Amino acid sequence: MSTRDLVLVALFAAIIVALGLVPPFTLGFIPVPITAQSLGVMLAGCILGARRGAAAVLLVLLLVAIGLPVLSGGRGGLAVFVGPTAGYLAGWVAGAFVTGLIAERLEREAQPELAQLLSFLTAAIVGGIGVVYLLGIAWLAHSSGKAFMEIAAASLIFIPGDLIKAFVAMLAGRAVLAGYPLLPART
Amino acid sequence: MLTGLDIAGDTPLHRASARLKLILLFLAAVALFLVENPWALAAAAIIAAGLYASTGIARSEAFRRVRFVLFTVLLVAVANYVFHSLAEALAVLFRLGALVLLAAAVTATTTISAFMDEITRLLRPLERFGFVRAADVSLAVGLVLRFVPEILARYGDIREAHRARGLRVRPLGVLVPLIILTLKDADTIAMAIDARGFRRQ
Repeated sequence: MSTRDLVLVALFAAIIVALGLVPPFTLGFIPVPITAQSLGVMLAGCILGARRGAAAVLLVLLLVAIGLPVLSGGRGGLAVFVGPTAGYLAGWVAGAFVTGLIAERLEREAQPELAQLLSFLTAAIVGGIGVVYLLGIAWLAHSSGKAFMEIAAASLIFIPGDLIKAFVAMLAGRAVLAGYPLLPART
Repeated sequence: MLTGLDIAGDTPLHRASARLKLILLFLAAVALFLVENPWALAAAAIIAAGLYASTGIARSEAFRRVRFVLFTVLLVAVANYVFHSLAEALAVLFRLGALVLLAAAVTATTTISAFMDEITRLLRPLERFGFVRAADVSLAVGLVLRFVPEILARYGDIREAHRARGLRVRPLGVLVPLIILTLKDADTIAMAIDARGFRRQ
């Protein structure tokens, strides 16, 4: 990893931490506040690509593990890694990686805008929602006793909020790609 | 703002090494998942709560730290009670509750530098294969801590800039300039790091 990559990873981790500290924002048409931190996971993949994006998320989790309250709402410490939702945190790393992998493969600079937007949306939904829920629900199933089917079904109520985040990640990913492209190209 | 969660003190847990505490926490996690009896797990939860209290943490602070995770544990337990049995619900409640309290006790008694030392030691075998450099990890941690306040200040600036121009402050309108402005600093920071020879490459 070059020094520039290392710095980009650290800066993006700092952005994810900062997103957890700003008050949750509401989108005009939906009354539910959205915590921006899981949006940061999708953005990490969309903007930095697979390796650096996953490294940035991993760095945030490292800060959590060593006892810094950097998760949204000032949560932190080892306790979040043994609770029933710990799988989602592991899913963040894998999710950022898959988001980046898809974005790297689908994005082309010469593409029309709509194709770029759709590529980012696909990447954010598959990586940032699919992979995150896969790992999150797998750990829920392991840790939560016999009722895991019901609990897994209940966790699906967060999907609409996450779809909005994927949409925001799509718009922001495309805007950053236009303004300051960092996504490594892959053929 | 970004201060660690460790509590100053001189209890047996404080004196134990970070490695010992992490190994014990891991063993406790394995053991708790092997036990099915809710009463044995309840005893474990009481011992864990006792250990957490013995760290000398103020009671309100102790509760504030674990309430969110304990709430999710409670939700899972209630689901088990509604769809299965009381015994299953109690087992899940006490098993995860004990684990959360033990983890919180380790966090409350281990300083950030002790954790970093342990991580550096854990990374050494990986370093030999060229996957990651331990010094890079601590450099990255330091960079994050240094730049979070900077990014928050920038966030405030961008919001004010929007207001000054009579624009409505929308999430996307703040997020994109925040990310671009922050990442644009990377080249300068990387040059500064290399100029000082921190990474010795």
